[in-house]
Amino acid sequence: MRLRGWGGIALGIGIAAMAALPLVVRNAFAVDIFIRILLFAFIGTAWNLLGGYAKQLSLGHAAFFGLGAYTSTLLQLDFGISPWIGMAAGGVVGMLASLPIGWLCFRLRGPYFAIATIATAQVLMLIFLKFRDFAWGAEGTTIPNLGNAPLMMQFEGKTPYYYIVLCLLALALAITASVERSRIGYYLVAIGEDEDAAEAIGIDVARVKRNIYMISSFLTALAGTFYTQYIYFIDPQTAFNFSVSIEAALVSIVGGIGTLWGPLIGTMLLETTSALLQSWLGNSIGGVQLTVYSLILMSVILWKPTGIMGYVSELTQRRRSRAKGS
Amino acid sequence: MADALVVKDLCKRFGGLRAVQDVSFSVRENETLALIGPNGAGKTTAFNLIMGFHRPDAGSVCAFGREMVGRRPHEVCAHGLARTFQVAKPFGGMTVLDNVMTGAFLRDRSPEAAREKAHEAIDFVGLSSRTNTAARDLTTIDQRRLEMARALATQPRLLLLDEVMAGLNPAEVDQAVALVDKLSSRGLTIVIVEHLMRAIMAVAKHIVVLDHGQKIAEGSPKEIVENPEVIRAYLGSGYAQAPAGAAS
Repeated sequence: MRLRGWGGIALGIGIAAMAALPLVVRNAFAVDIFIRILLFAFIGTAWNLLGGYAKQLSLGHAAFFGLGAYTSTLLQLDFGISPWIGMAAGGVVGMLASLPIGWLCFRLRGPYFAIATIATAQVLMLIFLKFRDFAWGAEGTTIPNLGNAPLMMQFEGKTPYYYIVLCLLALALAITASVERSRIGYYLVAIGEDEDAAEAIGIDVARVKRNIYMISSFLTALAGTFYTQYIYFIDPQTAFNFSVSIEAALVSIVGGIGTLWGPLIGTMLLETTSALLQSWLGNSIGGVQLTVYSLILMSVILWKPTGIMGYVSELTQRRRSRAKGS
Repeated sequence: MADALVVKDLCKRFGGLRAVQDVSFSVRENETLALIGPNGAGKTTAFNLIMGFHRPDAGSVCAFGREMVGRRPHEVCAHGLARTFQVAKPFGGMTVLDNVMTGAFLRDRSPEAAREKAHEAIDFVGLSSRTNTAARDLTTIDQRRLEMARALATQPRLLLLDEVMAGLNPAEVDQAVALVDKLSSRGLTIVIVEHLMRAIMAVAKHIVVLDHGQKIAEGSPKEIVENPEVIRAYLGSGYAQAPAGAAS
């Protein structure tokens, strides 16, 4: 995607609006929702590099989210190391963990790959649940509240967290944009389309998949650290929660896999819908908002499997061909 | 002239099936060799063994003086061997240009240079009018053209064409034959698997016949159509009377 003319202006306005948002909206509840949107857009964008462009449907990204969360928390509580450094360390741990996981799972294709990745995240959760001496076991632990301590990634208001996660998202989008335009971007799409044909034209499929998995895992692990610092709590159930894996894939699928803005748009739609449904229907029959939410999801996947971005490009193409025809 | 490809005593079993048994042949540089035989004779398996998609149980594949056995397909491609697939495998969601660029990236890392090379290859196969069409919307012959363009974009010295003419109508076959000739005159060495004798007679200087995984004959087109063993196993008795060029 080239940033020219209207596209560039729209992007500039978008960035300015995102940066100004917490200055305009001072309601803590609303800012909390924005933070969650940006966080899942970030995880979705990281997932999209592997799952969207290369169509390797990982449902185990919670593994890296959890490893990032635990790495920074262990470093902070056991050694007093700042979560800023812990975040980078967590990213490296996540990246390194993707090597054996990828080595195991990439032998499998399609749904088998997806199932294998689910298993890796579950195994990691069990390890952290069972081995109590290592990291607090099932009870987890709270992060001591230090008040306003920017160097320890702790803040009194929510606004600073908003900007941190905004920067993370910007980083992931910048990486995606540069990958998309490069040789590797073409290689990823080719691998997603047909691995044999990709090999036949000289693409080292195994290496390309491994490298993009490392980048994707690194970014996802950063999200884990951020989330733990944001909620001041960690346990295996939250850190390795299956819903993190699902959400990462879902926002990308709904927004449009293999597109730069897909995960962000998907998250905005899904999180907003879910929050609105909760406030409208939350007090009526229990669980009805989840049912409606699932129905929306199913209809998107059923009727617009290319996601919102796919629908938009379909529309512009149709308009263009109509303009040509007349 | 030097040998471009030397295949020696190649063997491959799939369970109890001997797909390829002790097959040897060689192709000289800038020669076009045809591999023919009935369905299940082992032609596509031979391609897969040469390109590294399967590992042979025994034998060697030497391309331009280097052993290819044990290398992965992308390494074989980097060494200058490219192939097309019997069932075309275009990257369906990509445009024709993006498909071919993906091949061109093997030799040129920058998108600009790759795009230029891709345009050349697309022109060469006569697909320029479809440059921005999604590959999945192409007709059969255009998908075959795309396969060739994508393979050519990797700048091979040896091209393996797996039934590029199957399913084409007579006029399209003529176009495809002309294209293969054009590739050959550009200096490429070609190994072609094909069922259509008319096309083979037109392009190949040398023919290898496989049956049940074994080489049963080898020689010039004229020798092959007169070979009683080949007539029995593959061509059918109609060929015994008919002159080479007339059958189609």
